[in-house]
Amino acid sequence: MQADFTLDLRGESCPYPVIYTLDALKDMQKGQVLHVVTDCPGSFRNVPEEAVSAGYKLAKEPEKAGQEYLFYIEA
Amino acid sequence: MKTLYNRVFEQYWNPMMALVLAGVFSAAYFALTGTVWAVTGEFTRLGGHVVEFFGGDVSGWAYFDLVHLEGSTFARSDGWIVWGMLIGALITVLLANNFKIRTPKQKRRYAQGLIGGTIAGFGARLAMGCNLAAFFTGVPQFSFHSWIFIVATGVGTFAGVKVAKTKWWKGKPKLMKGGPAPVTKREKRVIQPYVGGLVALLYTGLIVWFFATGKPVLGIAAIFGAIFGILIERGQICFTSAFRDLWLTGRTLMAKAIVIAMAVSSVLTIFVIANYGMTPITQVASIGTFVGGFLFGLGIVLASSCETGMMYRLMEGQVLYLFVFAGNLIGVTLLAYSWDHLGVYNLLVAGGEKLNLIPAMGPGWAIIATLTMLAACYLFIDLYSKYKRGTLILPKGEKKIAS
Repeated sequence: MQADFTLDLRGESCPYPVIYTLDALKDMQKGQVLHVVTDCPGSFRNVPEEAVSAGYKLAKEPEKAGQEYLFYIEA
Repeated sequence: MKTLYNRVFEQYWNPMMALVLAGVFSAAYFALTGTVWAVTGEFTRLGGHVVEFFGGDVSGWAYFDLVHLEGSTFARSDGWIVWGMLIGALITVLLANNFKIRTPKQKRRYAQGLIGGTIAGFGARLAMGCNLAAFFTGVPQFSFHSWIFIVATGVGTFAGVKVAKTKWWKGKPKLMKGGPAPVTKREKRVIQPYVGGLVALLYTGLIVWFFATGKPVLGIAAIFGAIFGILIERGQICFTSAFRDLWLTGRTLMAKAIVIAMAVSSVLTIFVIANYGMTPITQVASIGTFVGGFLFGLGIVLASSCETGMMYRLMEGQVLYLFVFAGNLIGVTLLAYSWDHLGVYNLLVAGGEKLNLIPAMGPGWAIIATLTMLAACYLFIDLYSKYKRGTLILPKGEKKIAS
């Protein structure tokens, strides 16, 4: 999956993955895709949930790779 | 078999289910032992041991009499609740192959964790409990101090969110242009589940040993501690996020789950108290409860975790929480010192009294009042979330209150 921007948030704990993701999406143009990598277990649930409730779309189902989580969110 | 393992360990459990189970088990733990699921009292004793280790004399500290600083942590049931939670969480983290040393790139997090942890530890003990004894297991004991604590924690977390949202506090990550960042290579051999199984086996052996050597109370505490640790890890239970996410974005998942689980636990506990004639655990309600609850709320948002969530996050390998844990221990010890030496007790706590709803209004009204209060909390959470997310329809002519 091709992304326009990437946020590598590995190591950051909640709530910062959510805050950073929403901040980044706010500055992007509609239709652009943001790729987010996290490893905070809480973020697996709250990043996609918060992105969707803020009105963004998941461009792809969240993915678990080992201890890391990959998200693709469309602004 | 593979799919069952997958469902239990690969996916996190529904937080509502995990919390309701925790509420049921904490009522059962009370029925069996007459004590409640709590952690910060033991943290205070650990702080006392640290002071003693460095040659300090705590025999004259009034707070340590209050929390009964006697013997070693491994000879106390409260001690085994704490160690059991850590070990239980570690077992499921390993079984899920989810252990990883995680270090924040924003170095400021370490200072924030230490400062927030200290404030949260100090506040929790000033209020005689954290999100457990003054909250999740305090409400089902009908101890009125937990009502004050919940409101104060709400105010404190609200203030904490104001700080955490500022630029200088949250910092800024590097936003890279273009495609996916390189992902860490998948390990060839998965060994964590085997280590987890081994730890579980050894821990079971220890529990058997407790029962075999005539220490059933420690055995029970060790079992329940592990159950609580497993439930909070698998459900990713986070009291900090229950408040913080509500203020931040209007997310209600965790807050509603906590309220419902407390209602279940309250109903079970009132039956236990009525049928076994047990005495509910009551703590002093005072100005100190409010001040402590406020500081606790502020601290947990700054630290990104409360005293309970910190424990399973530490076991996941999140290095930040070593600093939060250290902060918690510093905070509780500071409170224990200032209790009598700096006059905190006389200033904030001495005017309070122990108030329990059961003797005050009878068991029937106690449970009615508690369930009404919880229903009001639920309604507030729901309305605030709708207001925050802009879906609350206000009557015509009324202005939307600025946030």
